[in-house]
Amino acid sequence: MKRRKFDLAATPGKAAVGVDDRFQVATPLRKLLNKVFPDHWSFLLGEIALFSFVVLLLTGVFLTFFFEPAMTEVVYDGSYAPLQGTPMSAAYASSLDLSFDVRGGLVMRQMHHWSALLFMAAIVVHMLRVFFTGAFRKPRETNWIIGSLLFWVGFLAGFTGYSLPDDGLSGTGLRIASAIMLSIPVIGSWVTSSVFGGEFPGTIIISRFFIAHVLLIPGLLVALISVHLGLVFKQKHTQWPGPGRTNGNVVGERMFPRYALKQGGFFMVVFGVIALLGGLFQINPIWLFGPYEAWVVSAASQPDWYVMFLDGSTRLMPAWQINIPIGDGYVIPPLFWPTVVLPGILVGLSTMYPFLEARHLKDRKSHNLLQRPRDVPARTAVGAMAVAFYVVLTLSGANDVIADKFQISLNAMTWAGRIGLLVVPPLAYYVTYRLCLGLQQHDREVLAHGVETGIIRRLPDGRFVEVHQPLSASNGHADGHGQLEYVGWVVPKKMNRLGALGPAIRGFFYPIEKPVEAPVSPGHPPVEARPEREEIGSGESRR
Amino acid sequence: MSTHTEHQAPQGREPLDVNDPTLTRFDIVREGARRDDIEIVHYEPQVLPGTKAERRLTRVVAGFFLITGLAATAFLAIYIWWPWQYEPGRGGDKFYTPLLGATLGVALLAVGFGILTWGKKLLPKEVSIQDRHEGVVDAEGRTITGQTMLYLADELGVKRRPLLGISLLAGLAPVAAVAAAPLVGGLISQPHKNNQMFTTGFGAAEGGERIRLVREDGRPIRPADVSAGGQITVFPGIEEGVSNKHADSPTLLIHLRSSDAEQSRRANERIGHGDYMWGDYAAFSKICTHAGCPASLYEQQTNRLLCPCHQSQFLITDNARPVFGPASRRLPQLPIEVDSEGFFVAKSDYTETVGPDFWERP
Amino acid sequence: MTSDNDRRRGLLARLRGRPAVRSRGRRRLGAAVRLIAALMLAGGAYTVFAPGAQAQDNPPLTGAAAEGKALFDVSCVTCHGRNAQGVEGRGPSLIGVGAASVEFQVSSGRMPLARQEAQAHRKPPVFTDEQTRQLAEYIQELGGGPVVPEGDAIRDGGNVAAGGELFRVNCVQCHGFGAGGGALSSGKFAPSLHPATDRQIYAAMLSGPQNMPVFGDNQITPEQKADIIAYIQETLKHDQDPGGFNLGRYGPSTEGLAIFLVGIVALVFASLWIAGKS
Repeated sequence: MKRRKFDLAATPGKAAVGVDDRFQVATPLRKLLNKVFPDHWSFLLGEIALFSFVVLLLTGVFLTFFFEPAMTEVVYDGSYAPLQGTPMSAAYASSLDLSFDVRGGLVMRQMHHWSALLFMAAIVVHMLRVFFTGAFRKPRETNWIIGSLLFWVGFLAGFTGYSLPDDGLSGTGLRIASAIMLSIPVIGSWVTSSVFGGEFPGTIIISRFFIAHVLLIPGLLVALISVHLGLVFKQKHTQWPGPGRTNGNVVGERMFPRYALKQGGFFMVVFGVIALLGGLFQINPIWLFGPYEAWVVSAASQPDWYVMFLDGSTRLMPAWQINIPIGDGYVIPPLFWPTVVLPGILVGLSTMYPFLEARHLKDRKSHNLLQRPRDVPARTAVGAMAVAFYVVLTLSGANDVIADKFQISLNAMTWAGRIGLLVVPPLAYYVTYRLCLGLQQHDREVLAHGVETGIIRRLPDGRFVEVHQPLSASNGHADGHGQLEYVGWVVPKKMNRLGALGPAIRGFFYPIEKPVEAPVSPGHPPVEARPEREEIGSGESRR
Repeated sequence: MSTHTEHQAPQGREPLDVNDPTLTRFDIVREGARRDDIEIVHYEPQVLPGTKAERRLTRVVAGFFLITGLAATAFLAIYIWWPWQYEPGRGGDKFYTPLLGATLGVALLAVGFGILTWGKKLLPKEVSIQDRHEGVVDAEGRTITGQTMLYLADELGVKRRPLLGISLLAGLAPVAAVAAAPLVGGLISQPHKNNQMFTTGFGAAEGGERIRLVREDGRPIRPADVSAGGQITVFPGIEEGVSNKHADSPTLLIHLRSSDAEQSRRANERIGHGDYMWGDYAAFSKICTHAGCPASLYEQQTNRLLCPCHQSQFLITDNARPVFGPASRRLPQLPIEVDSEGFFVAKSDYTETVGPDFWERP
Repeated sequence: MTSDNDRRRGLLARLRGRPAVRSRGRRRLGAAVRLIAALMLAGGAYTVFAPGAQAQDNPPLTGAAAEGKALFDVSCVTCHGRNAQGVEGRGPSLIGVGAASVEFQVSSGRMPLARQEAQAHRKPPVFTDEQTRQLAEYIQELGGGPVVPEGDAIRDGGNVAAGGELFRVNCVQCHGFGAGGGALSSGKFAPSLHPATDRQIYAAMLSGPQNMPVFGDNQITPEQKADIIAYIQETLKHDQDPGGFNLGRYGPSTEGLAIFLVGIVALVFASLWIAGKS
């Protein structure tokens, strides 16, 4: 009996030894656990996209258990009374069933849709962060290209998913997609006919989109995301300049345990926000749209937000049709330019941007330190121009809703969009450029003369001047000012940032408890315990 | 290249003996980090064991996890017992989905914030510095790998034996085509089968029989069915005429006011469509020539037809000419008349191509 | 083929199903209403083709109509002219528009107009129900035209499923899938149906106010009108959103706004907190 008794506490250790005997993972595992990640809120934006993709996979798998990707005609007999007896496709009927006759199906469907919107929104926001901070520069061009591709593949994933329920809105979207394919010169009718298996809408498009939506596109997304993350891992994350931070190191936290805990917690937060959205905000009420019928359309028919810019460009396009008088005559319809040529240009420009910029600046160095947007005014201004372009197009994609709700003429909205598309981006460029220069200027001023203290002093000759607190000790200049060099990081511009009003107050929304009783790290002298909490904004000096 | 680091650690230091019993566990952790070129330069517990602060934070984290438990239990209870089958106007059942989402969201947010508080407040703060080895190129390794590659090429001897290369290409190219052929060949579909892009359901009759205009429930239409200033969506009165199978056939039959009808007739005559209208009735394709949406927002006073997808506007009294927006081609008109039984019929199929434009539209 | 048969059977069943559900009495009533409506339409058509014939004769008015004329001469005559024959450039003739049109325009407050603009807006009505009825009676006796059936029970027995299908074919293109309204060309718009009463919707379909097409009783029968009204009032207008707050039912545009204003903002705050120095 005694032989059977074993030391329970030693079991994990023994198991670990057993695993390492077989796989020799101890050292690589340690390297993984020890990897250092820099900490900044803007580095978490990409994670939002990653985590919503995980939620997309989870909810999407649930939906496939109930969705039937077929266009065979059935008569609806489910529990939603206002559609009972209506002939519709099996795809639409099963989408209704999974909304009304599957317990919790509606919340899953809505979570899936919201996480799709969040996925795309987070990609865009993350991309803006990477762009404006110059994180795409060598050696990370590949990852920038993969990131832009992720946007376009996500775009396809979203569009195929939007089309699957075969409701009135998604059918209209498919109809427009078929018209876009038709508009391609020479091969348009062949492309449409091949994709739809004959004349629109045919009977096979839903099953083709289904397999693309649940297998091909997610497979591609998983592959791209894996490479994207692998490269971030291999090339190590960029970091902001700052004390001790160089192009050759990473300053931050080791991955385990604190960083990993934060990531895990953030995943739960993203998941939770999606669940709240999915439950509390109704999205895509397909039961109100009715089945797709070629003769039915609703006012305010729009695609999801990330496709809306193409809808906007289509609405703004003037009716310029090109006729080619050869033989029977050939046509390039106006639809071709805003829906095929424009996205083509955008894909090319967005993926090639890192190379264009490097070529323009003749920059062949590797960069691991980020740049503040103000320090690269040309790039920041180009980015602002692109954002302005995108926003004008997206707003134009909803111009009928805006016209109706704000009682503006629809035709005036279209003209405003046409003119705005030409005027607003250059304006954005100019304004942003000037703003950047102004901010730079102010940084240099503070470095040269110090922080404004708000103390006004009257000089003997009667003039009033504001006292500036120099940032560095006098280095022999006659005026007592020491000129500091700008290092690409935040310049303190308020006195309390300098510690003049006591240490920066801890806490996010309100100050939290006093500091720890005793410091542990050598080299950190004991801090005097402050008596109690104080609200932010008590201007009183505590020293 | 840049070997500049901020380490306080001596560069050529001796590795520690990790079996030394005097070392603490943290010493070993730090030694491990050093072997990965990581220097832990700052390590500071945020709360000390046994302090009030620690107890308080522990309670906060535990509280979060308890909220998760409660919310998750509430989710399950609602999932099982709340009336879930939605029926418009009944009441409580419309809160089923919001309640599920809210409880699930609260559960997940609480577990998230619990973990975050744990990691952010209870774990020691640290600053570590890791060397990137950026630009430290292993030149020798590059040379060896490069030579290995070249040696491989030599071994294969494609350069010396060009026939191998050519025959390989000649042999494999068709294999690639074989892989692509079923995909391309299977998908490709002739767009002009039965002239389908140029015909609609209104031209489907055999033996010269004219196709009736019918409503969505299949009933034919008399002139008296549509009041002046009214419009009705009509379909070809054929098998499956009212279905997506004839997605390009839906047509808008408009009963114009007499003065507008007069204007329309004159416009019709200008382009040689003098006999397309019947009385004050005109029929235009409902499928927008721009992107194929049903252009069906008929304004009976201005006689404009608006497409809700891209805001193209067509002036009905001028042969449905596009007057605003991205559409570049007028809506085709269906020639109509009334048959001996008093129902509307199409005199013939559309004489222009219906639906969105494409390259080879004559 | 089978699917086609199914479809047809479904449609026929629905068409047949409706009378079967109703009581015989109501069916007779329906027939009577239809007869009256047809007679009125014939009368209306006659007056359209022979305008002014009655107006010039100044036939004796009944009591309510006389009251209505008094109101008309005070409030409407400026734009619509003496005997409602219209004033060039200010207001159209009302001969033959029928009581339905008056009921719609006056009871929804659109008439009298506050000012000339692209389209009249709904306002609190100026006239009481009784005065509206008198005005309607006056216009009806002047020139005939379509009339909304008496009583408030015009949507009784309406079938929401049939109504939904008719609504989608005939109404959603302008009023939107949620009946919240939509934009038309150059500042005109299709109004939201949410404030509209049963009788106003009925009257609008009959009379085609402003740019709305006319949906006469031959095109959409009174039973079908009841179906449509039932769908609007019972399915769309009650706050029946099983999926939570409906974001105004503007479609994907407000959903896109929500993901940035709610989702992204919340998560950016979360990441600020996570990465913030504590």
